Amino acid sequence: MRGILRDLDGVLLATTVALIVIGLVVLASATASLGGPAQYLRTRLVHLGVAAVAMLAILAVDYRRWAGGRMLYLANLALLGLVLMVGVTRLGATRWIPLGPFGGFQPSELAKIALILTLARHLADRPPPASVPAFMPYLAHAGVPVLLIVAQPDLGTAMVVGAILLGMLFVAGARLGAMASLGGLALMGMPFLWSVLHDYQRRRLLVFLDPGVDPLGAGYALAQAKIAVGSGQLWGKGLFAGTQNLLRFIPEQHTDFIFTVIGEELGFVGAVLVLALFLIWIWRALRISAAASDRLGRLIAGGVAAMVVFHVFVSVGMTIGLMPITGIPLPFLSYGGSSLLAMSVATGLLLNVGMRRRRRKILFEEQWSDGQRDHRQRRTV
Amino acid sequence: MASEPAGPTTRVTALGVVVALLFAILVGRLWQLQVVQGEHYLAESEENRLRDLRLPAPRGTLYDRKGRPLVTSRAAFTVSILPNEIRSAERVLPRLAAILQLPEGEIRDRIARARSRPFEPVRLRRDVSKAIVAMVEENRLDLPGVIIEVEPVRHYLYGSLAAHALGYLGEINPAELASTAWTDYRMGDLVGKGGVERVYDRVLRGYEGRQRVEVDARGRLLRVLGREPARAGRSIVLTIDLDIQRAAEAALGTRTGAVVVLDPRNGEILALASHPAYDPNAFAAGISARRWARLSGDRTLPLLNRAAEGAYEPGSVFKIVTAAAALTRGTATRATRIHCPGVFRLGGWIFHDLRAHGTVDFVTGVAQSCNVFFWTLGYRTGGEAMSQMAHALGLGERTGVDLPSESPGLIPSAAWKQRTLGEPWYPGDNINMAIGQGWVNTTPLQIARMAAAVGNGGTLVRPHLVREIIDPETRQSERVRVAPLGSIHMGAEALATLRDGLEAVVLRGTGRRVALPGLAIAGKTGSAENPRGKPHAWFTAYAPAEAPRVALAVLVEHGWRGSVAAGPIAKAILATAFGIATEPQTQGAAP
Repeated sequence: MRGILRDLDGVLLATTVALIVIGLVVLASATASLGGPAQYLRTRLVHLGVAAVAMLAILAVDYRRWAGGRMLYLANLALLGLVLMVGVTRLGATRWIPLGPFGGFQPSELAKIALILTLARHLADRPPPASVPAFMPYLAHAGVPVLLIVAQPDLGTAMVVGAILLGMLFVAGARLGAMASLGGLALMGMPFLWSVLHDYQRRRLLVFLDPGVDPLGAGYALAQAKIAVGSGQLWGKGLFAGTQNLLRFIPEQHTDFIFTVIGEELGFVGAVLVLALFLIWIWRALRISAAASDRLGRLIAGGVAAMVVFHVFVSVGMTIGLMPITGIPLPFLSYGGSSLLAMSVATGLLLNVGMRRRRRKILFEEQWSDGQRDHRQRRTV
Repeated sequence: MASEPAGPTTRVTALGVVVALLFAILVGRLWQLQVVQGEHYLAESEENRLRDLRLPAPRGTLYDRKGRPLVTSRAAFTVSILPNEIRSAERVLPRLAAILQLPEGEIRDRIARARSRPFEPVRLRRDVSKAIVAMVEENRLDLPGVIIEVEPVRHYLYGSLAAHALGYLGEINPAELASTAWTDYRMGDLVGKGGVERVYDRVLRGYEGRQRVEVDARGRLLRVLGREPARAGRSIVLTIDLDIQRAAEAALGTRTGAVVVLDPRNGEILALASHPAYDPNAFAAGISARRWARLSGDRTLPLLNRAAEGAYEPGSVFKIVTAAAALTRGTATRATRIHCPGVFRLGGWIFHDLRAHGTVDFVTGVAQSCNVFFWTLGYRTGGEAMSQMAHALGLGERTGVDLPSESPGLIPSAAWKQRTLGEPWYPGDNINMAIGQGWVNTTPLQIARMAAAVGNGGTLVRPHLVREIIDPETRQSERVRVAPLGSIHMGAEALATLRDGLEAVVLRGTGRRVALPGLAIAGKTGSAENPRGKPHAWFTAYAPAEAPRVALAVLVEHGWRGSVAAGPIAKAILATAFGIATEPQTQGAAP
């Protein structure tokens, strides 16, 4: 065991801890106007405990033994289906499965991780797709959970899944020409997508393109977010001193819009510091991906990296007018147990892959080329 | 491994480049927002949290000359909206429109007009009922940005009484806002639209106070950061005498016309009535478009102040001018005697009098209002002299009264006729002018002042409505003194002759019906032919004749004969002014 602990990525772990600590501080400020931070911090600490256990569990057992089986895929679909049936509706979306005293659980958060795992397994065993038809099995693979997620509706998470798929296909070595064709097809599908969007979703997109369209309605959140971040200036207004935050001009300032609190109270310096931590985290994820002992590990790490990149870019981008308003959390910082759990599992996966990068030859031999899928027979020493 | 295309790490490295690019975009944008435009956004966040609430200043009270309140302010509820806090206009506005019983389009218009000040409340409806206040409060959560303010609303205690003198309020209009005269006014302000309310708007309005507060996103007040209290407007004691005003309006009744009652010694307006009138209370809380259209489109012109804005042919009351001009020019004296056969010949033209008065002397000519007598005087004296005297008596020019839109009337002259009509002044024009026909036009206010000038011994006063201005804080009152405009420059003998003639009008002439026991009244009747219908009935008078304290003019549009239609109104007013009981059958006894 000591052998693999030597390869535990300390930088990744430290970055994660730093982000979580910053998250706690910012959460305290963001919830000061929501009846005081005490209750939120207590819940957050409970979540952190669960998340830590989950992370340890994930990294304990070699990912190659369990990652991405058919059962995981089906369990994922089952959870996503369950939420549509018994889910709690908040703010017009059915995203939560009620869990009594623990509040609620948001299956779409873990669905992203499950998808990374199953997709990695799916891609690892096959040659890199080289034509548009070759993409179809993977599109179908991701498409089924996406449909269930869109039905909630949770457009943001559906888009995250799209980003994961794209990133993993890219890492898997898919032909770039074929990916470009796929992109072209996706663009052609846009009008259809537009037609199935909800009114509020269309309005958000329109407001993104022209914030003046509806300054009193959908443009409000965007305008207030920009005011919050911009008014932070270079050094910020100081913790617990952001008026946009404390006077509640920002909707959801402790969850999806947490970055506005960072921007307003910690200023450009604080915002860039947080972004730098994310960049380090993603850099470590890509490093683990590049150094992975096998395709499975490389794809898992690549998928995690793609997911976090998308989350950070959209969650930060929407507060500064670079991206449309989409309700997706900022990893480690947004308040929300399911998101934290998903991120700790993702971190555990990265650590797992990174720790076992030297075991490749002994443990495993990649033979996707002849389509063999009987790893289980070849597992272990 | 060998079968991995393009090397396993190349793709990951490429992904890393994309990530670096994306982060560079984020940092660049943050730099732009926070460092480059940071100050702008900081200002916006301050505007967000700070709200300057207006503290309305109570408008000054209007009192009559004896200190009886005529116009006060009462507290009322105003429903306003904060434009930057409407979250969903499509949902909020229709609901609000239904509660306020306003067209949704009007609400949108009001909000749109206030676009430049999104953080200030936009008044939607003033003086709403308690039921509406309750409905707004009950639906508070569904009406974000809607607030209820307490604001004073003008209250005219006697309804339409003296409406044209008092005026009314209305929201300042864009044209006024754009003009330099109203620079420190703001959109949505109520300003005087007529009468004293308009002319003395700056005296009455006071200064709105401000309260700077910190609010949260829902507009809930958290802290008061600063306060500049409102300063109440100053109150005004008018020259109007409530009793005389009431008597004047009661006597005028439902007839279309106007009454002006002056103190001839100083020009104070004791009563100013114009009928039909309007109820200024209807405007106090902002008049609805429909109601305004009905009032302003009314063919009886209720908004027109006939006493000062209406110019009418004076008819025989103008004979005061003719007489004064003749006496001053020496074309007639007290001893002048003229034979009236009932007609007057000028060249080939024949002018018919009502009847043959026989031989009349000056006083009798005035008393009987003998046309042939005045035609003769006019013929002898000439248009220029009559025109000059008319101006000396204050006709043909604005009196300078403190009312808006006063009409100057018109006194024709040879130069005027040449300029306007391109014709020379004919002798026949002298004849017409002598009896106040032709192009002569005067306002009742001018006629009353003319009577005052004759009565007070020749001083042309400036009519005015304000007596005192009271500062509500110091409780000090400032007496308003209005200097007379000048003198009419008539010789003492000429003036005495004219006054004797006017006194004879009531003693034994056309104005006999006006006579009151124990009061010497000097007056003049008039029936002015006009192209629009029956002659206008006039009566002008001053009393007591030897040292008048009251001068008045009464006009009844198309009232036919001055002595019959206008005289009794004057009599009722004088009876009230001097406290004389009248016989019950007389119209318009004092209340």
